[in-house]
Amino acid sequence: MNLLHRLRPAVWPLVVGLALVVLSHPVSAETIAGLLGGSARRPLSSARLIELGSHHLALAGTGLALVGSLGVGLGILATRRSASGLRSGIDTTAAIMQAVPPVVVVALALPVLGFGAPPTLLALVAYGIMPTLRGTVGAIEAVSSEAQEAGIAIGLTPRQILTKIELPLAGAGILDALRVALVLSIATAAVGALAGASTLGTPIVAGLQNQNLVPMLQGAGATAALAFVGDALMLAIAGLLRR
Amino acid sequence: MSVSAGRMNGPGRRILRHVWPVAAIGCAVVGIASALPLFHIAANRLVVGTPVSAAAAFGVPGLSVCGSCLLGSAFLGFGRSRPSALAALAAFSTALVLFAAGLGTAASDLVAGQPPAARARLATGAWLGLMVLCGSVAVSIGRTHIRGVGWLTLISLLAVFSVLYRSGGFDGLSLAVEYRARAESVHAALWQHVVLSFAAVALATVSCVSLYAWRPGRGAIEIVINGLQVVPAVALLGGLVSLTSGLLSVIPSLRAAGLSALGPGPAILAVAVYLLLPFWRGLQGALRASDPSILAAARAMGLTRRQSLLRIRLPLGTPILIGALRVASVQSIGLATLGALVGAGGLGGIVFEGMAQFAPDLILLGAVPVIGLSLLVERGLSLLEGRARQRWHG
Repeated sequence: MNLLHRLRPAVWPLVVGLALVVLSHPVSAETIAGLLGGSARRPLSSARLIELGSHHLALAGTGLALVGSLGVGLGILATRRSASGLRSGIDTTAAIMQAVPPVVVVALALPVLGFGAPPTLLALVAYGIMPTLRGTVGAIEAVSSEAQEAGIAIGLTPRQILTKIELPLAGAGILDALRVALVLSIATAAVGALAGASTLGTPIVAGLQNQNLVPMLQGAGATAALAFVGDALMLAIAGLLRR
Repeated sequence: MSVSAGRMNGPGRRILRHVWPVAAIGCAVVGIASALPLFHIAANRLVVGTPVSAAAAFGVPGLSVCGSCLLGSAFLGFGRSRPSALAALAAFSTALVLFAAGLGTAASDLVAGQPPAARARLATGAWLGLMVLCGSVAVSIGRTHIRGVGWLTLISLLAVFSVLYRSGGFDGLSLAVEYRARAESVHAALWQHVVLSFAAVALATVSCVSLYAWRPGRGAIEIVINGLQVVPAVALLGGLVSLTSGLLSVIPSLRAAGLSALGPGPAILAVAVYLLLPFWRGLQGALRASDPSILAAARAMGLTRRQSLLRIRLPLGTPILIGALRVASVQSIGLATLGALVGAGGLGGIVFEGMAQFAPDLILLGAVPVIGLSLLVERGLSLLEGRARQRWHG
């Protein structure tokens, strides 16, 4: 009962995600297109969808790993007492980097890094790192100063205060930041299709260019499904770790 | 033990604090001057070309740029006072103008005597240098702690650059060549982009307010708005277009009613969907911003609920509402770039055309205004937010 209660927030995203998986299956996508009187052009096979999906997941996963380690690591550094002056700088940098949308990063990196995964990965990191860093800083700063002072009073070293007090108490907030980063990564990996990365965005972009509705619907469904399932997964982890 | 170690670190740390701006900017100057290319000279607008180093492009006059950079960083590092911050600002602004003008002159020299299709394109060193200089100018502005100095600097730098551009100082740069060839379409795209983003913000504002007014459904609406945020933008656009065009082929009479699967309509709708969440949170935060005791006092004075909403709750929530508008507007400008995928035009169209042709200058021609527009809106609205906070919260 307790376990179910902890997993409750993850239920709706999971249900929506699974429904979208069903929607993107070739048979159902074709049926919907048929109902809407769409053209009878061949849908993407399940094998192709799974192939694109695994590429998408690999790209978004690599990006999330980079964003997570850099963002959380820098966030921990920025909240150390010696770096207290950096706080406003971080906020300004975050605001500026947020002003450069992922499409624009992908486009700007294209001439330098070439087609495919590298510009997408750069966009993933550039767009994901500041929200993660900001979320981490916010979560650690929200830890009450009483808890930290209690740690100092019982003779913990700064490192122990970090690992035994600050990180456990800030864990929920950091996980929330990582959940946002995951959703951003999946969305940005889809944008990467514009730079020729082979992801679930590829059938959408191709479909928009040649008015091929069925693969477009499948790609859109599968991309959204991936985002919802990832969201559900992170919510479930957060629920299980909650104390 | 650790306390005494900290004390011993004191003077060292203070010296470090003085030295690090000088060291950081010195490293950037040396790195750009020695290792990174300032230009790529290309035979035409589609190839990457061969790199040109800073020494080859600038020669001895480049030292004046380095000199003013280091002077500025010294003022920034060793002085804490307002005059030294202003001196740093002057030094960095001079360095920025000298650097930009030098880039323009060097580009003209590099393409002189080459075939007309040849392009001198700014390379990593130049971009990095411009970014470092702009960042240093911004830091110096922050150090002066004088209100309005930032806007003053921005306006005067823009004035200097536009005079330089008018007098042909940047004519050799590939970006200027590309711009001159397409000025009309860039202006049209910029205007379209502004209209698209503004329409999305307006649509989201209206729908958010009317959804919020429906009290019984608030919980469900909030879940839906949060859920929509998870849908990737490309997927939303794709899904929207495929479903609308399917619908149109079933009920063709809708087409006569103005519904269309491609164009600005679906783009504005898709962008507005993502703006619902910032507005929703802003509205929630703004209405909760006023102290319950103030509201109780208002009730005691005989204000009706409507009066209390209009005279107390909304004014007190104004800074939060402006903050929401700021977040939503920046998102809107960014997302509107994707609108070009469904034929909505805007600056995204130029970016995508550049990507399709693999023409770096064309990509920049679309990307730079997007970034500039979002930065301008972000700074402007956060200034307004600060003013409103001061006005209502002292």
